[in-house]
Formats: sequence, C-alpha cells, structure tokens
Amino acid sequence: MKAVALFLPELYFLLMALVLFFCSLRRQTEPSKDFRLFLAMSAGGILVGALSLFQQGSLFFASYQVDLFSQVFKLALAGGVFLVALICHRLPGVEDRFHAEFYLFLTTCTVGMMMLVSAVELLTIYISLELASYSLYILIPMRQGDGIDVEAGVKYLFIGAVSSCFMLFGLSYLFGATHSTYLVDILPKMPALLASPVGLLGLILSLAGFFFKLSLFPIHFWAPDVYQGGANQLVAYIATASKVAAVAILLRFAALGSSYGYSFAQILVFLSIVSMTLGNLVAIIQKDFKRMLAYSSIAHAGYILMGVLTLSESGYTSVIYYAVAYLIMNFTCFMVLSEVADDGRDLQIAEFAGLYHRSPLLALALMMGLFSLAGVPPSIGFTGKLLIFTSAMNQGYFWLVLIGAVNGTISLYYYLRVVYAAYFMDPGDLPKVVPSPAIRWTTYALILIIIGFGVFPMHVVDLARTAVKFVLYT
Amino acid sequence: MAEHLTNFPYLTCMVLSPVIGIAIILFLKEEQKFLIRAVSLVSAGISLGFSIYTFVAYDRALGGLQFVEKYEWVKGFGISYFVGVDGLNAPLLLLTGIVIFTGVLTMWELELRVKEYFAFMLFLVTGVFGVFMSMDMFFFFLFYEIAVVPMYVLILIWGSTRKEYAAMKLTLYLMAGSGLIIPGLLLLYATSGLYTFDLLKLHGVHFSPWVQKLTFVLLLFGFGVLAAMWPFHTWSPVGHVAAPTAVSMLHAGVLMKLGSYGILRIPMYLCPEGFQYWSSLFGLLAICGIVYGVFVGLAQTDLKYVIGYSSVSHMGIVALGLATGTVDGLNGSVFQMFAHGIMTALFFSAVGYIYDRTHTREIHELGGFCKIMPVASAFFITAALCGAGVPGFASFWAELLVFIAAVRVFGIGGLIALASIVVGALFALRVVQNSFYNEPNPKFTHLEDVSPFLGLPRMILIATLILFGIFPSLMLDLIKTAVVPFISGL
Repeated sequence: MKAVALFLPELYFLLMALVLFFCSLRRQTEPSKDFRLFLAMSAGGILVGALSLFQQGSLFFASYQVDLFSQVFKLALAGGVFLVALICHRLPGVEDRFHAEFYLFLTTCTVGMMMLVSAVELLTIYISLELASYSLYILIPMRQGDGIDVEAGVKYLFIGAVSSCFMLFGLSYLFGATHSTYLVDILPKMPALLASPVGLLGLILSLAGFFFKLSLFPIHFWAPDVYQGGANQLVAYIATASKVAAVAILLRFAALGSSYGYSFAQILVFLSIVSMTLGNLVAIIQKDFKRMLAYSSIAHAGYILMGVLTLSESGYTSVIYYAVAYLIMNFTCFMVLSEVADDGRDLQIAEFAGLYHRSPLLALALMMGLFSLAGVPPSIGFTGKLLIFTSAMNQGYFWLVLIGAVNGTISLYYYLRVVYAAYFMDPGDLPKVVPSPAIRWTTYALILIIIGFGVFPMHVVDLARTAVKFVLYT
Repeated sequence: MAEHLTNFPYLTCMVLSPVIGIAIILFLKEEQKFLIRAVSLVSAGISLGFSIYTFVAYDRALGGLQFVEKYEWVKGFGISYFVGVDGLNAPLLLLTGIVIFTGVLTMWELELRVKEYFAFMLFLVTGVFGVFMSMDMFFFFLFYEIAVVPMYVLILIWGSTRKEYAAMKLTLYLMAGSGLIIPGLLLLYATSGLYTFDLLKLHGVHFSPWVQKLTFVLLLFGFGVLAAMWPFHTWSPVGHVAAPTAVSMLHAGVLMKLGSYGILRIPMYLCPEGFQYWSSLFGLLAICGIVYGVFVGLAQTDLKYVIGYSSVSHMGIVALGLATGTVDGLNGSVFQMFAHGIMTALFFSAVGYIYDRTHTREIHELGGFCKIMPVASAFFITAALCGAGVPGFASFWAELLVFIAAVRVFGIGGLIALASIVVGALFALRVVQNSFYNEPNPKFTHLEDVSPFLGLPRMILIATLILFGIFPSLMLDLIKTAVVPFISGL
C-alpha cells in the first residue's frame, strides 16, 4: 500500500492515459467530450499531486526516489498539464479525430517527466527521458499544416536522437568508471573521477540530454523551428512543463559535480553566458512571436544554468523558484497567443496590434507575462532572477552576474516591442478577441500569481529550500 | 544608526495608499472620470498627509532612524522589509508627497484613458515612496525598478514630440543603469559575509578596498544614469519633453532624485574608501554637467527643452554637493534635491498649462505671453527666478551651501561651476523675456487665464518654495541630524 501511495501521481496519470486511449478508439469523433474529460482528469492530477506532496521513500530497488524535491516538481508538472488543458478548448491546429490521441500523448509525456524527476539511477533516468521524448516526437507533426510541422518533427527527432547518443555515451563513461548505475554509489567516487578527463567528459556528455530538453546552447537550434512548427497548445506544453522537468533532473544530476567545482563549473559558466547572450540577441530580430519566445527560452536556459552551476543550496533554491516562475509567466504568454490565434495559426508580432482595444484583459496578461520574463518588478520573474543572481554572486561569479544583468536590459527591448504592438499600434481591421469565462478567470489568477508570488516569495522559497536538501547531498 | 521602532505603520500606510488607490480605480469604469480623479487625489492626499506627519514629527533631538518597521521577508536570502525615516529621506518623502498631490491636480483636465493614466501614475509613485523609505537593498531595488518602468507606458500613451523614440531611449538607458546596479548591490551582499540586504548591518562591515572601488563605480554610473549625470544625461531632456505634464513633473521632480539619493544611500554610505578614490571623478562629471546643461540650454527654443537642460545642470549641483563629501556639501545637496524637485514640478506644470492651451512651446511664438495669461506666466517666471538662484527661494540656500563646499574642496573647478550659474541666470532671464515680455502673439489673445482651482497646485508649489526659502532651518536642521553622523562615518 505504501508503494502505491508513493507512486500515486504516476499511477494516476497512467490511468488517465489509459482512459484517453479508450477514448481514442471511439468510432465517432467527439472532440468536446474528449476535451472535457482531459480537463477534468488533469484537474484531478493537481489534487493527486498536492495530496502526495509530502510522501517520502524509495521504490524499485532504490532506483526511484520519492522526496519533497521530486514531489514539488510533480505538482508543478500536474499544474502545467492542467493549464495547458485549459487552453485546449479550441484545438484548431490538430484534426478533430486526433484530439484524443493528442491528449493521450501529452499524458504519457507527463508520466515520463514525472518519472524523470524521481529517477536516481542512470537507466531509469534514460528510459524516463525517452518516454517523454518519444511522446513529443509523435505530438509535434500532429499539427495540420503545410509541411512545416513535419520539418519541425523531424528536426526534433534527429536532434533528440543525437543528444540521446551523447548522453548514453556519457553515461557509459560514468558507469565504466564507477561500476554502478546508482547516483548514490557514483557520488562518493566523483571527486576522484572528476580530476580525470573521463569523469568530466562523462558528466558533461550525460548532461547533454537535459540541455536538449532545456534548449541550452549548443543543443538549442531545434527550439525556434519546433516552436514555430508545433501546434500552439503543444508548444505551450513544451515551453513550460517540459522545461520544468528538465530543470529538475539537471539539478539532481549536476549535484554530482558539486564535490569538485572548478573546471566543471567553468564549462557551465561558458554555456550559460553563450546561451543567454545568443538567445537574447537573436530574439531581437524575430518577427514571429513563437520564434521570439523560442529564443527567449534559450536565453532563460542560460539564466537557469547560472543558478545550477553555483551548486549551492541557495542557487538550487532559486532555480526551483525560477522554474516555477518560468512555467507561470511563459504559460501566460502562450495562453494569450492561443487565444488570439483562434484558428491555430502562427502569430506574427505585428498581429498583436491594438490587442488593447480588442481585448484589454489579454493585453494586460500579455504585458504582465512579458514584463515578468524580462525581469521587471513586481513580478515573479524579477524576484526569481534576482535570487539567481544573488546566489551566483555568493559563489563569486561577478562577471557572470554582470553579463546576466546586461542581458536583462537587452531582452527588455524585444519584449517591449510586443507590448508596444499590443498597446500602441492601430488594430486596423483585426477582429476582437473575446475570451471565454474560464480563460478570463485563469487570466485573473495568473496575473494575481505573477504579482503575488513576486512580492511575497517567502513561502515558495521556503518550500524550495526544504526540497533542495534532498538533492544536494554535500 | 539608532533605530526607533514605531507603534503605528506610518510608512507602510504611506506606500500602500497609492496601491489601494490603484485597486479601487481598477474597479471603476472609464466613464466615471470624476470618481477616478477623486480616488487618485484622496490616495495621493493620504500619502502626502503621512509624509508631512513624518517630516514634522521626526524627533530632531533624538536623530537616527525613526518610524522603523522591520519584518523578515525571505529568511534564506537575508531579505527583510525594513523601512525608516532619517534626515536624508524625510525631505524627499515630503517632496514626493507634494509632487504627486499637485501632479494629480495638474492633470485634472485629462480626458484620454483617464483610468489607466492615474493607475500607472500611482503605481510609479508607490515605487518612489518605496525607494526613499527602504533600508533593505532588495526592496530598494524592487521599488526602484517599479518607479522606472511605468514611464515607458506613460510617455508612450500620453506623451508628445517623438514619444516613441523618447520612451524607448529612456527605458533602455535606465534599465542599462539597473544592469550595473544589480551586480554592484550583489557584490556588497556577497562579499559582506553576512548574507543580508540590510543596509545598517552592511554598514558595520569593512569591505576590502577593491570591492569598495569596484562597487562604488558600478553604482555611481548605475544610479548616475537616473540622476542624469553627465555624460549619461541624454535620455533626460528628450524624455522630459515627450512626457505628459504630470509625468514630467514627477520624473524631473522626483524620479531623478532617486538616482542621486541612491548614490548617497548605498555606495557613499557603504563604500567610503571607494568614495575617496572616485570622488574627484565624481566631482568632475558633476561640474561638466552643470556647465554643459547651462550652455546647451541657452541654445534651445522649446520651453520644455530649456527646462530639461536646466535640470541636467541643477542635478549636477546635487551631484557636486555629494562629491564634496563635506557636511555643507551634503546638506546643500539634499536640500537641493528637495528644492529642485519642487521648482521643476512648478516649471513643468506651468509649461504644461500653457502648452495645453496654445499647443506650442516655442519661445518666439509665445512672445508676450504675460499680457495674455498673467497668472500662468507668473508661475513660470517664479520658477525661473528660483532656478536662477534668487534669494528668498529654497534653492538659493541649497546652491549656496553646495558652492561653498565645492569651492573649498575642488577649488578652481568649483569656481567654474559657480561662474556658469551666472550664465544660468542669463539663460533664465532670456527665456522669460522672450516668451513673456515681447509683443504678444495675436493668435492667443482669446485664451483665458488660469482658474483658481487649476492654479491651486502651482500655488502649493510656490508656497513650499518660499516657505523653505525664508525658513531654511526647518529643512537644514532635519537634514543635519543625518548628515553629521554620515560624514563622520565616511
């Protein structure tokens, strides 16, 4: 019984996948029924996630660790799925008959990610990661389109496969050098190992798989094409929930390097700087909103890595906080996107013109989301970024923080361009946008969360700090 | 510095009053214009009331930090909500209260998107109050950014004259300044070894010389951008010209003081050795600003540009006072922040009134405006005289103190700055003569003069200038309670 309680969120989502699987077998397509079922069950997912928040234990021959750290992330994932479900009420990007499958694979992907955040053994990690990735390989080309979806799908598949190869190669080094696939066994051997190139190379290559998910330089170039090519709702999922899971496992894995800092951290410093600078600079010239967000996500991967590479308690705490913040604020932008693009098209930034006149509420939400991404207070993004900078500075990364802060200024420029379009450009003959009551209330809630947790971060920070103690073994 | 806790949260009420105002305004409809204005006025009035109270009730014999409220905010990162009043910020809180109150009155006639306008303006002012009262670097920076960002929207919607360019330029300049401030603040946080953002606790730490030097220069330039310190001033005239009247008032009157106050409160307070090292550069830039502002101002034909450049020059005086690092200099500098704030608010408010009626700010087009709108012109002329440093107005004392200190510390540099003030007087008189005492422009003869109600905010500003001009000790005694211990810590 104890085992069931520990595995409850995963079991719930597996059950959900099963139900959706039966839905997909239906002869007549009933998209609205599928949607309601998916929404209701994902709402239940949050409840299950919250109930099992304080579970603790290990499963499957200690290859699977359930602790506050993993449960916080599972709750965040369940929340992410529920939010994405909310904007699926119109799913014009996907053919009606595929809706049930669409939900099904979103669910299996979530199961994979939930397992990923709990996995503490190399093979379990790999399998969970692939379960999540394979679902996405199928989901991306599901969009109705002119071939851009297929291009995106193929690109994601290939780059995903290549990064998996790197990862497997790195894992084999770790296994070969330590004779164990358990993180617990590997950890004490890391200090000696990291002094040799084998250990360093093995660890860095192993991280490649997570860098791919996080769209961090140098495995970032799938992001713009996949963001543009995928259905808006799916991209919302990739940009939020999927990133959160990647952050979780990255934290758990990078902790392996904590015993021996210098060259390991230096490599991450380099990746972080290149990633945020590149992402922000290229985002400036984008015209497509989703492509812009893709480059902004590359930049944010750099910020997140900045917190990870501190390998300190405060750094990890701020990364967890920032990951949750990123989920909320990025989702806000995607929600506005999917509401404005009611026929599921890709949206040019210029198409936000006069959004203020077409829907004041969505314009406000867009502005809050973008300002939060840019790190403007009082918002959750500002507080998160400042906490990350603080912990990086505590470890003496002065230049990294300086570059990060300058990057914040650069990024404000392109976020402001969207705000400018939404508030000050003439709407012309662009139609009004009328959000449904559910979306309206979600918007209120999101705005409230963005401001509320930005000004009162203490509870989330405290929770994150307790959670961190479970991963940072030193 | 001694801390005296308060039994009533005066400062929190002061900063929350605009927030509550915003919350009420958001629930009103755009059509209920009167109600929106009334709510803004009341919430600004409450803040003003509290700021007057803290100014008057501050116990000058006791000194130190009074009305203190302190709560732990995020324990793990050493962040606390810590606000208090001392001699340095009490005048500035009062200034903010006066400017926002008169600012709301000045914009009473606004018709375009009234609801959002007042919401953004109150939001901005929340940030300003917050910066002045915060004794915790985290909240200081949080409020600082809150005060800076709404400007973009305010200029873009309600501005004029190349507003898109001005808004973007201003925002990017100020955010670039923040980009220098964050590393500076965090360097202090990290190297202190205390892991706290509490300014008073950090003051007890002796930072190593290189940390002090590095932090000081980062924060000097970071805050210097907002203080329109030469050569980072270029956003300011453009921004002030583009902004709507009350925003110019707030921005030139109050926001720019955030920069100079920031320099005073954080780098000078925490990094005395850094200050010693950089003070001559600081002084040099200040003198450049004073001279440059005056001479470029001479060439302008647009009244708002004239004021914009005079602000650069006057903020240079503030910076010069700080750079001297003497009791007189700091006294004068803080007093000048207050006096210049009120004076510029009066300037912009007068110009705004004239511009709303005539739709021009060209000096030559206005011609003999004094004959058409004697009262409106009188407001402007009063501000111009005050700007020229005529005795009887508050800024006279402030400038006097700063220049006494500057000549003593910087010698010839101080004299050059002083000499340029004479040119400044010429500058003010030329503008006054050309726009108010020439032949009146027949186009404008039908215009009516300021009504008593609309004249009220300007009267308040003038009364303040004269009150502190005649009784400077009201202000100086208060400032001194903080400056004397401040200097002994340098």
